[in-house]
Amino acid sequence: MLLTSKKKINQAEEEMLNVPQGSWAEIWYELKRNRRAMFGLFFILFLTIMAIFADQIAPYGMREQNLSNALQFPNTTHWLGTDDLGRDILSRMIYGTRVSLTVGVSAVAVSLIIGGILGVVAGYYKGWIDTLIMRFCDILLSIPSILLAIAIVASLGSNLQNLIIAIGISSIPVFARIIRSGVISVKEQEYIEASEALGANDIRIIFKHILPNILSPIIVQSSMGIASAILSAVGLGFIGLGLEASIAEWGTMLNAGRGYIRTHYYLTLYPGLLIMLTVLSFNLLGDGLRDAIDPKMRER
Amino acid sequence: MIKQKNKLWLFFLAAVIFLAACGSSGDSGNGSGGEATADDGEPKVLKVANGADPVTFDIQQTNDQATTRIARQIYDTLIVQTNDLELVPGLATEWEEVEDNLYEFKLREDVTFHNGEPFTANDVEFTLRRAVESPTIGHIVDSIDPDSIEVIDDHTIRVGTSDTFGPFLTHLSHPAVGILNEKAVEEAGEDYGVSVVVGTGPFEFDEWVTGTHVTTNRYDDYWGDAPEIDRIEFNTIADPSVRLIELESGSADIAYDIAPSDIPAVEENSELTLMNTPNLGSEYLGLSLHNDTPLREVKVRQAIAHAVDVEAIIDTVYMGVGDQMSGPINELVFGFNDDLEPIEYDVNKAKDLLAEAGYPDGGFSLSLYVGDNSQERIRVSQVVSEALAEVGITVEVQQMEWGAFLDSAAVGEPDMFLLGWTTVTTDADYGLYPLFHSNSFGEAGNRTFYENERVDELLDAGRYSTDQDQRLEDYREVQEIIHEEVPWVFLQTRENVTGLSNRVHGFEHHPTGSYDLSVVTLDAE
Repeated sequence: MLLTSKKKINQAEEEMLNVPQGSWAEIWYELKRNRRAMFGLFFILFLTIMAIFADQIAPYGMREQNLSNALQFPNTTHWLGTDDLGRDILSRMIYGTRVSLTVGVSAVAVSLIIGGILGVVAGYYKGWIDTLIMRFCDILLSIPSILLAIAIVASLGSNLQNLIIAIGISSIPVFARIIRSGVISVKEQEYIEASEALGANDIRIIFKHILPNILSPIIVQSSMGIASAILSAVGLGFIGLGLEASIAEWGTMLNAGRGYIRTHYYLTLYPGLLIMLTVLSFNLLGDGLRDAIDPKMRER
Repeated sequence: MIKQKNKLWLFFLAAVIFLAACGSSGDSGNGSGGEATADDGEPKVLKVANGADPVTFDIQQTNDQATTRIARQIYDTLIVQTNDLELVPGLATEWEEVEDNLYEFKLREDVTFHNGEPFTANDVEFTLRRAVESPTIGHIVDSIDPDSIEVIDDHTIRVGTSDTFGPFLTHLSHPAVGILNEKAVEEAGEDYGVSVVVGTGPFEFDEWVTGTHVTTNRYDDYWGDAPEIDRIEFNTIADPSVRLIELESGSADIAYDIAPSDIPAVEENSELTLMNTPNLGSEYLGLSLHNDTPLREVKVRQAIAHAVDVEAIIDTVYMGVGDQMSGPINELVFGFNDDLEPIEYDVNKAKDLLAEAGYPDGGFSLSLYVGDNSQERIRVSQVVSEALAEVGITVEVQQMEWGAFLDSAAVGEPDMFLLGWTTVTTDADYGLYPLFHSNSFGEAGNRTFYENERVDELLDAGRYSTDQDQRLEDYREVQEIIHEEVPWVFLQTRENVTGLSNRVHGFEHHPTGSYDLSVVTLDAE
């Protein structure tokens, strides 16, 4: 009896389920036609491969010093030159992708999960809990995110985990707001009412009907969020609050090369370019995804 | 309609008058700013780029270089240590040891403070008594017995030490023992050192804008040779590369502490001069005996000393600035032992020593703390960490905010730490006693918590003797023991590196790092 009724609900739901933004294949088709987004996607894939296979790809070790070869301009043995302690810059840049991608993705995961829960609760239940959560987000938003991250890292100490927490926390309100507004708009739809009428509980409605329909802004925001999380991590590294200096991280590389910028420009130029390209790629991909998912937003 | 037009005109007129008034008041402000002007009417202003903001000009409450570099222009000491480290008369014209451990000083009679008060023996008494009480600089004058201080007349004073103290006179030449004016200090109370600063020096305090600059004007009633420059502006510029840019752009005439990586930029610039002389400072890697680590074994410490390539650190991190040290003090310091050889870089020997100590492949890990205020030390921490990895020791580098770093090192938290020491008094007592005597554990200077009975005995003997030959011998032995037991990995001597505009003449380095600017002259721009 119970089983059949559940089946019935499922069937009824599926018939009524009306995905307004098209299927994944359609999105992929749209995305493929966007050259800029594809550039971003391929560059991100390239970075991911570098991060995973850094040990195999990098010509030298991350910490490998050769003091007698310090500050060499780019040459055939060190393609992008060596830093002030004779470490290969190319290798350190490759190892640096690990930190940057890990921090970028994990920080966004932290803010997505926490911000997501807060946003859904606020948007779905409304009332005093909505007011409470959103005012909390307003407070968090009123503190400059980099300042908040600096304060968190300074108090917790600087290691990878704390860096992720610090950067993650500072973008919680952004995700909470986006998800809340998505939830509110979807919740008014008739098919939600229908599910309610069919007796589906809150959890089921949220996961089965609401979240799938607000995925697009979440995906777009996540892609952009990774870019800004990477920038924040680099910023913290640059001001000396990042990871310990021997770990290859783009921000710390910039900081260490800063003193030599006039005589050995390549110490800062190449990591700087890589940071720029990485952030650009995530932003281009985010733009492309937005266009592909929501045809109304597409630029012609 | 007409009325409205008039109104508009009136408003316009008012605006013009207002703007004009602003302009003229600005001008007259500038004019009155240059009180002391040179013959051609333009005041000669020396602009100095200083690396940090001063702490306070109550010089008995701080002992940091950024402050001393300014305070030295404002205050005088009884005895002056020349750039060649000789002691010559300052505010005291002559002195003699009238009894054992009792000195009589004759004071200059033609000296006035910047507030117009005459300089007398009472001010000296006030200064010394106050200094002995000071928690910050008390250690510099702690040999003085306050009960023995006796004012004979306005310009004669007797000062005794509680025990024989060899470097007593040198300590009196320390810039922190500059003579204060009793009246000014008492009247200003809390404000003294911040908005009220009174000395007898060639320049008088003008203003201090926290974090930005300090200005001093020439004191026209100065007792010594009048300076040629009218005014000195000390601008606080923490970033060494910004100090260099200020120097290059002409916004600074003198830039202190040029970063090693910026040295070529100064040398290659025909408008600038680089001055580079050894000072009394030394850099070291402290190996702490506080925590229960293998560092408590002499052989492990020796192994670490052999594993670190100090020459390479000097060449790459410090761009060749400094010489490898063979012991804890450098050769400019009295008591230096010139028989000691630097510990050579030898990885195999390091491995053998570790094996002898029972750690054949290393296999333990140590923490290394470094303050975040020195790019160079942060680099050294990475070199050390790599070098010790070679012999199987894992190093966990912890980069910390400077104040937090000093505090944690003082309580023995780190296993290893990077730090330096400047023997400002030029005497081995100051270069060894605070760092290796068991009385000086922690904040007083002995952050490695090194303890050796013989060393204590010799340091005590050296401190309380005036027989310079005997002292020399004692200090040589101390250095031998420390060289053998390596509570430090001796890194390199430090150098004063200053960038000067070619307009500047007469500037000279003092090995303590605080320079007399009253002798500097400036070409017209």
